[in-house]
Amino acid sequence: MPIMVNLDVMMAKRKISAGELAERVDITPANLSILKNNKAKAVRFSTLEAICRELDCQPGDVLEYVKEE
Amino acid sequence: MNIKWTAKKSLTLTRILTLVTLVLAGAALFCIPVMTEWYDAVSGHEPIRMMLTVCLYLSAFLGIAALLGLLKMLDNIAKQQVFVNQNAFCLRLISWCCFAVAAIWIVLAFRRPLAFFVAFIAAFGGLVVRVVKNLLEMGITLREENDYTI
Repeated sequence: MPIMVNLDVMMAKRKISAGELAERVDITPANLSILKNNKAKAVRFSTLEAICRELDCQPGDVLEYVKEE
Repeated sequence: MNIKWTAKKSLTLTRILTLVTLVLAGAALFCIPVMTEWYDAVSGHEPIRMMLTVCLYLSAFLGIAALLGLLKMLDNIAKQQVFVNQNAFCLRLISWCCFAVAAIWIVLAFRRPLAFFVAFIAAFGGLVVRVVKNLLEMGITLREENDYTI
């Protein structure tokens, strides 16, 4: 997928664990893992909003477009 | 007496009917030589016993393969696994079995034109199953998309 989720980078910057973020964003740890490992097919605006709120960042900090070869 | 018809009962009935058909198809394997001998005796045309026997055996084996695929699919449905790749595979198998039976009976139609109708029905069945297979594959894609939407 050309859209990469850089959630682990932001989580490291904010020093927050996956379990804690999952709880604060109100998604299951399994779903957060899918998101972190770039396995997700789509992200709801409500989830993105919660992630940005909890990590105090912009959607562009979490999502990145990478051109395919 | 109030018997309520439910999806579970309907599924059980389908499984029983499929099993009965499977047993009948298995039993038919033993009757094919007798049936073809009888056909040659009563048809009044040139004998085609050998050709008919081969066609019937091939069709019966393909039919049994299709029925086993159907049983596997019904098992998956009973386990609440509807939109899974295995079901699409089973439908693909059933559809190809139908097309193969159609091809066999088209060959037979050169000697007995009436066999063309059997070929047509088998091909039509295969086509319908193929459309259902395509629908199921789209359903699997949608389910995966839904599962991976966070």
